[in-house]
This record gives sequence, C-alpha cells and structure tokens, in this order.
Amino acid sequence: MKKTLTLLVASTALTAAIGVPAWSTMRVSGGEGLWPLAAHFDEGTQALPLVRVSDDDDDDDRDDRDDDDDDDDRGGARNPAPAGTVAPPQNGLFGTGTAPQVKVN
Amino acid sequence: MKSLLATLALTTALTLPGLAMARPVTLTTALTNYGGDGAYLALYVTDASGAYAGSLWMAGGKSKYYKHLSDWYRATGGDTAQVNGITGASVGAGRMLEITLDLADALFDAGYTLHIDAAVEDMRDSPNEVAVPLTTTGAGTPVRGRRYVASFAYDM
Repeated sequence: MKKTLTLLVASTALTAAIGVPAWSTMRVSGGEGLWPLAAHFDEGTQALPLVRVSDDDDDDDRDDRDDDDDDDDRGGARNPAPAGTVAPPQNGLFGTGTAPQVKVN
Repeated sequence: MKSLLATLALTTALTLPGLAMARPVTLTTALTNYGGDGAYLALYVTDASGAYAGSLWMAGGKSKYYKHLSDWYRATGGDTAQVNGITGASVGAGRMLEITLDLADALFDAGYTLHIDAAVEDMRDSPNEVAVPLTTTGAGTPVRGRRYVASFAYDM
C-alpha cells in the first residue's frame, strides 16, 4: 500500500513538474518570462522562415546558377527598344528625332 | 520679285531658329580594364535643382539589370520607356563607347549635369560614376570616373 502511494505521489510530482511550466507559459503570451520555457514558446509564435524540403538531390550544385545568367526574360519587365528601331524619347533633351550614331572601339 | 524675296526671307527666318536649337554632340566614354563582364551604363541628365530631366543613352539591353544602375533606377522607377530608341549593347572592359546625339542647345550653360551610373555583373555597382556639368566651355575636357570609367568627354 505504501509502495503504491509512493509511486502515485512520484508520478504526480513528475507530471506537475513538466506540465505546470508548459501550461503556464502557453497561457502567458508576451509575458515577462516567468519561466525559462516561456522564451521557447514565444519564439514559436513568431513567423519563422519557411524552409522548403525537396526530395531532389541537390548535391550536384546544378541549382546554384545565378538567376542573372538566365537569358529569357519571361515574367520580367519589358526590355527597351534598341536605338534605330524607334525615335528617341520626347524628353526635351533631343533636338530632333534623329537616330543616335553609336560606335564601340 | 519683291514678294519672292519676302517669302525667302520669311522661310529663312523660320528655318534658322530651328537649326540653331539643336546640335550634334558626341559623348565618348572609355572604360578601364576592370577585368569583368560588359558594363551597363546609364547616361542621364539632371537639371539645376538636381531633378531627373531625362536619359541620353542606356548601354545594356536587359531591363532586369537596370536596378543596379541605382541612381537612374531611383529617378525613373526603371521605366524602360525612358530609354526606348536610345539603348545599345553593354560595353566591355577597356573598350570605348562613342555616341553622337542631336541634343537641344538649351541643355548647355543652363545648370544641367550629365551623370553616368555604371554596373558590372558580380562587381560593385557604381552610381554617379561620372557627374559633369554641361557647359560650352567644358566641351572636350575629359573627366575621370570613380571605378569603371577611365575617361568621359563630350564634344560639339
């Protein structure tokens, strides 16, 4: 009888030791850090960066190419019209609509 | 005869101001041997108050890189319409870009400044690489840039 009672007291104490801090920190949001575990729960409520996990094997670094090397501009802003294809913009800087002459040495 | 002379005088009077309002100006930009890919260059003008007045040339045709020309991008919001018809290829290291434009006379001796923003892939961006006041006396005087431009000059 005594042994059973001791076991019951021990298990209750163990449950209380683990459960009470957890329960109280979940209830106290943005509190003063009453328990060490509070910090963990508070951090958990903030948005964490989403980490995408894929089953693809990325170890071969194929995906490390810089996007800037991509030659197609699908979905991006439209490229300007090259010189000679349309008149220069009417921004008041150009005297006439004469096409620019360009030379690269 | 009299009426013919009067007509000729009138047409001359009307034509001359138009011709005098613009002149061909050559912008020469020589790049240093910085050892990288072709440089994107934005040549643009600000007025006496420092406000963006317009673009003169864009070296580099892919608009997705224009954000690296940060001063020009901030002034224009990256609007490609600003450089429609005045866009060419990027300029390689050690190369010289020569552009001849028909520019309004009103740009000179009126407080306007020509700026060049420069950017090279995987290298540091260089906004305001060159800033040179547009004056008739300053024509032909080379100016050195901060990072990628070895010299810049405008001739008229």
